[in-house]
Amino acid sequence: MRSTLPLILTFVVGLFMVGEFFIPHWRYHMWTQVFLEWGFILAAAAYVLGLVNLVQVNLPKVLNKEQDWPYKLIMLAAIATMMIPGFIGGETRLQDGQMYKWLFDFVFVPLDATMFALLAFYIASAAFRAFRARNLEATVLLAAAILVMLARVPIGENLPVIGTKLVQFMNWIMDVPNTAARRAIFIGSALGAVATGLRIILGIERSHLGTDG
Amino acid sequence: MKLDTLIRFQNMDRRWIFLGMGLAILIPMLVPITLPFKVDERVQALYDAVEEVPNGSTVFISADFGPSSRPELEPYFRATLHHLFRKDIKIVSATLWPSAPPLVVPIYEELAERYGKEYGRDWCFLGYKDGKELAIKSIGENIPNAFPKDHVGTPVGELEVMRGYQQAKDFPLIINVSGGAPGTREYVLQIQGQYDLKIASATTAVSGPDYIPFYKAGQLVGLAAGMPGSAHYEKLVFPDGPPEGVRLLATQAYNVLNVGHAFIILLIVAGNLAFFVTRRAEEQEA
Repeated sequence: MRSTLPLILTFVVGLFMVGEFFIPHWRYHMWTQVFLEWGFILAAAAYVLGLVNLVQVNLPKVLNKEQDWPYKLIMLAAIATMMIPGFIGGETRLQDGQMYKWLFDFVFVPLDATMFALLAFYIASAAFRAFRARNLEATVLLAAAILVMLARVPIGENLPVIGTKLVQFMNWIMDVPNTAARRAIFIGSALGAVATGLRIILGIERSHLGTDG
Repeated sequence: MKLDTLIRFQNMDRRWIFLGMGLAILIPMLVPITLPFKVDERVQALYDAVEEVPNGSTVFISADFGPSSRPELEPYFRATLHHLFRKDIKIVSATLWPSAPPLVVPIYEELAERYGKEYGRDWCFLGYKDGKELAIKSIGENIPNAFPKDHVGTPVGELEVMRGYQQAKDFPLIINVSGGAPGTREYVLQIQGQYDLKIASATTAVSGPDYIPFYKAGQLVGLAAGMPGSAHYEKLVFPDGPPEGVRLLATQAYNVLNVGHAFIILLIVAGNLAFFVTRRAEEQEA
């Protein structure tokens, strides 16, 4: 029963949610909304579980001074630093003068933006090292990359004689080979998702129950 | 040039590249280079989609971005708010990103004040909802179910701007400002096809190529990607230059990108020249 009941639940709920795409009756949609609401509650509960899990995993390592414990301590302190002012501030936490708002504006925003901005430097370094015309495929990739990079900015567009052609060619690269490749990936991954979904609904795939099935 | 120098150049310390990249970004900030540019067809389509919305209607904006994607998307977000408020279009907005509310609410408030728009009557922000695809599905089915209250705790039933707007298909246009997942891809997969929605997307340069197939298939009515997309949109919204008190953030940054891109291209070309010379010399030695 411990494994049969979750399998029955998965089958019924999975099939019910798929049916929503094919049955436009309002009563049916009323029930799918109930399921969606349950989903929200589960998603919110996952945050709590995640927090408990983080503390459970990292706190003992800090207390026992295991490897990299200072980083784990900083992480736990950072969680508390953002969470406590959030709770204290309540509905007003995003108003000027609130500690949560201050931490968000002057700690979280600059740190998050910096992490993303560093990409420019790493991409420059990686492009210099990786883009070498070692064979035909690498040369095609290299030529496409240079062309798109140049045509994406006004300096390329304003090149005498070839500027307009460059932009047209970039658009062709994005619209034709790029679209073809991405559609192939999308359709392939969608078929994979359908197959995985069917395996879960039919109980063939049972890893979500904590077993290998 | 000696072979050793070329080999050393190919294996140079990456900190030199970082320094060069830093200067390539900093110098054009201090000494701006302004070059003209033409508007991309996809951005024009996005602008046209907003133009087609009748004055006085209401659109839905899903502001799904955070501090990391803010430099690319905030200029678009600001430009589109100018565009919508100027056309007297009302806005219902929400987000699927927990880090978005503190970023977007001040922008809404600033621009609503500029155009004399009142909260609750002309615009509202329903706040953040967790659940990713579930939240999108719920926006498609029943918005008050997903967002019973707005970001300050007012029941949505009390918001005048929400009257008559129960689900995504009630809006003539949905604009998704998407910094990643959950965002445009999820909107298209979860609700665009099922409800035949008109969705326009502004996204990061990284995600842009991912969404072009959606645009080509008609699943998106317009697409602005990255800083160039935002700059193009600014040009469409302010063809005669910015009004007083408005800065065209993306247009300024777009010109900074000129030197950054040129620097990376020069690095790649120089690296390949050095690679060919050393490889030929090694082949001759062998």
